[in-house]
Amino acid sequence: MNQPLLEVKNLTKVYRIGGLLSGRTVKAIDSVSFQIPSDKPKIIALVGESGSGKSTIARIILGLLQPTSGEVIYKGRNILEWLKKNKLEYYKEVQPIFQDPYGIYNPFYRVERVLELAVKKFKLSSNREDTRKLILKAMEDIGLRPEDILGRYPHQLSGGERQRLMLVRILLIKPNLIIADEPISMIDVSLRAMFLNYLISFKDKYNISSIFITHDLNVASYVADDILVLCHGRIVEEGPKDEVITEPLHPYTKLLTSSIPIPDPTKRWKEQLDLTSIESFKKLKVEKGCVFFARCPFASEKCRNETPPFLEIKTGRKVACFLYL
Amino acid sequence: MNNLARFNLAKQVKLYITKGIQDILRLNSKLKIGMLILLVISALAILEPVINQAILGPISPITPGIFKPLLKPSREHLLGTDLLGRDLLALSLHGLKYSFLIGIVAGFLSSFIGIVIGFISGYKGGIYDSILRTITDFMIIIPTWPILAILATYIKFMRIEGLAMILAIFTWPLSARIIRGQVLSLKERPYVDLAKVTNLSDFEIIFLELMPNILPYIGVGIGNSVIGAVLAETGLEVIGLGPGNIVTLGTLLNWALGFGAVIMGNWNILIAPVLFLISIFLSFNLVNVGLDEIYNPRLKKVTGE
Amino acid sequence: MEKVKLLEVKNLKVYYNSIWGDYKSVDDVSFIAYEGEVLSIAGESGCGKSTLVDGILGLIKPPGYIPSGEVIFEGKDLLKLSSEELRKIRWTKIAYVPQGAMNSLNPVIKIEEQMIDSILDHTNISREEARKLAISRLKEVGLPVEVAEMYPHELSGGMKQRVIIATAIALKPKLVIADEPTTALDVVAQKGILQLLRSLKEDYGITVIVVSHDFAVHAQIADRIAIMYAGKIVEVGPIYDVFKNPLHPYTKGLISSIPVIGKSYIKGIPGLAPSPLNWPSGCRFHPRCPFASEKCRNVEPILKEFNSERYVACHLSR
Repeated sequence: MNQPLLEVKNLTKVYRIGGLLSGRTVKAIDSVSFQIPSDKPKIIALVGESGSGKSTIARIILGLLQPTSGEVIYKGRNILEWLKKNKLEYYKEVQPIFQDPYGIYNPFYRVERVLELAVKKFKLSSNREDTRKLILKAMEDIGLRPEDILGRYPHQLSGGERQRLMLVRILLIKPNLIIADEPISMIDVSLRAMFLNYLISFKDKYNISSIFITHDLNVASYVADDILVLCHGRIVEEGPKDEVITEPLHPYTKLLTSSIPIPDPTKRWKEQLDLTSIESFKKLKVEKGCVFFARCPFASEKCRNETPPFLEIKTGRKVACFLYL
Repeated sequence: MNNLARFNLAKQVKLYITKGIQDILRLNSKLKIGMLILLVISALAILEPVINQAILGPISPITPGIFKPLLKPSREHLLGTDLLGRDLLALSLHGLKYSFLIGIVAGFLSSFIGIVIGFISGYKGGIYDSILRTITDFMIIIPTWPILAILATYIKFMRIEGLAMILAIFTWPLSARIIRGQVLSLKERPYVDLAKVTNLSDFEIIFLELMPNILPYIGVGIGNSVIGAVLAETGLEVIGLGPGNIVTLGTLLNWALGFGAVIMGNWNILIAPVLFLISIFLSFNLVNVGLDEIYNPRLKKVTGE
Repeated sequence: MEKVKLLEVKNLKVYYNSIWGDYKSVDDVSFIAYEGEVLSIAGESGCGKSTLVDGILGLIKPPGYIPSGEVIFEGKDLLKLSSEELRKIRWTKIAYVPQGAMNSLNPVIKIEEQMIDSILDHTNISREEARKLAISRLKEVGLPVEVAEMYPHELSGGMKQRVIIATAIALKPKLVIADEPTTALDVVAQKGILQLLRSLKEDYGITVIVVSHDFAVHAQIADRIAIMYAGKIVEVGPIYDVFKNPLHPYTKGLISSIPVIGKSYIKGIPGLAPSPLNWPSGCRFHPRCPFASEKCRNVEPILKEFNSERYVACHLSR
């Protein structure tokens, strides 16, 4: 098998809560492992509810956060060592699109600065004229009119425009992997489609893979090739998107897929949730056992005490549940 | 060094200035009035030698016995003279110059220490933060004024710079704390993350991303430090513990009280130092409040967006 | 069955004063909510949907003002009532679940006490009765009785939102208005909340107005939907009809923008939402409309009847 593009191995991040002397800790993510193959570009959706550790994974891959244990291997190299030696080279490969299109711009500067800085830092052009041309070309490719954008301050643009400028930035740098953390949750419905379509076209045109982090299975099913389901910091299921959505294996995935609101009044939910049992009280960390134990209708004594292994049911289809042992 | 070379200082300074001018254009009235008073005080302080040259000629205003003592205000002596026959207007301007100078030097010095420590503490975090924060908190807890008073009784003669330095050493922790808090909150902003993945160095992130957004707080910090320094120095002088060789507004107040100006009804002895002190406090406070109203988002008026 | 009008909004305008001119956030909006229905108000950010709710409930504060309009509830114009009379009607007759309400619970007071306090604020019953009422409402929203003794931080987001709804329906109002009730909730909690809102109608006959940008939410629970664009309602109709055969080009565009499992291509609407400071002339959607004609650019279309149940504001529809 080819060397994968990205390999995440047993990633764990433990946060200490309380002061220096307090011994309490909380595991944001626990032994997370997955791969993105290098043979053909893919969009992988990382699906999970709030607090499932999605953003922690994104920040670790981007080198913005140190994992407690485990490693991230990109093109066969450990990224921590890579970042120590040559940050520029790594960031030429891996670039983010963040969630908040407002906070991403320094309010002190005009918006085009993020593009100019990218061109300058990644040495994409040698003179001002080329820089200008590059930026204008990339803006045209994303369907933004320079006269509406250039020279403005961030607060003068809408969220949709700002997030599309982030796509322009990606197009300038042309990385091999995009880490997109809830990129459309803060933009208007009518503009989301366009954003997703550009992300798909990056994959098709420029072979750019993406990790697409979202809580919305409707969106994941539209944009992604594969889906990873994250529950309380652990990956519980992995597979091609159609299989995960139509034949979910893990009880948590089943609950998720049956709760997706389908935007079609003829496809309303048939079975009703039992309101008394869908949500658990906020409890402390799960030290051992299955992360979904407290809410699982099939939970047994074994689930309480042992961590289920991540089983490969068939090629590319994995689930962490004793029901499939 | 590479980063230093590429960091275009001239361009950045130009940008700070243009943004600053834009900000001044949309100033609120408090800031405008504050800056106006500040301008007048600075002009008086800077032009003091020229004005006193005009009033007294080449004689120093603190030289006793030039005129008759305790003259009432008149055309020659707009504020009259004191017990030792010195022109009160000239004397007050002299005091203003030194009070203002000590305040400014101490204020800037203290802010500079505060900014450096605040930035290191907030941006670097970890062990640096723990150590610096402990020192800062310690400095805030210890009672500054009694220590200054004790120091002052030992040091009877010192230069302006020395006095300013001592004042600065005791007033920096407040601005360090403000700056640290701002850096802590700003460094979590997404644009700092974006700067990191755009391969900006720590140096560039501090000066290009964080510093511009902290400038108003630095302004407020300097204002507070100047006020603090003037107040501390005046307080020492009023109770007679200031270095005897420097005559400031506080010294004048001390003399006036010593002459019994209040009881005797010699308001002309007190009025100028008091007005000058009020003007200094008022101007810096107005500037601070004005800056706060402009930059503090909680106070920003909602425009309906 | 004859439909009974519960709330009728007539030509309501809500403007905000600013140094650049008036923000016309809600500009001449009329609609009716009938008894015992779930009415959805849909629209993207900045279309004025939340401002509309504030206008209906008399919550507009300066610099906002209401230049004209009527809000008729049970034969009375709410806009003409004194703030004291309005306060009485709120909670007892009209309950409001504002956006992010679940985060407004006081962290240091027990759930039960918070519910009792707001019940006693609006009605004259004894504390003991109020306690009983609070506990029975908690049961109705599917929360275990222990919740009464808990503090907000011990509950998940969805549970807190259910506490808010339990408080809102404590006095069995006739109308519940919920603004973005499921934003920031996870899918499972979201389903729970939507199911609950739907049951208010089905079990208690309460009229529910749900304001949201999320079409999936509307598709799941609404009977009728009103779609807002640029401060106006552009289309109103039964949810099934609107989804099956949208009349307004904006509605068409929106429906084709929503990612749905199994749909292989979604399109989006080109262009950007206009500013409330300076709405486009004529039809406010014309700069983004693929079918815009000369008339659309100059003449503002009014919301007119398409058939007995459906209304649309578009020159092209007849």
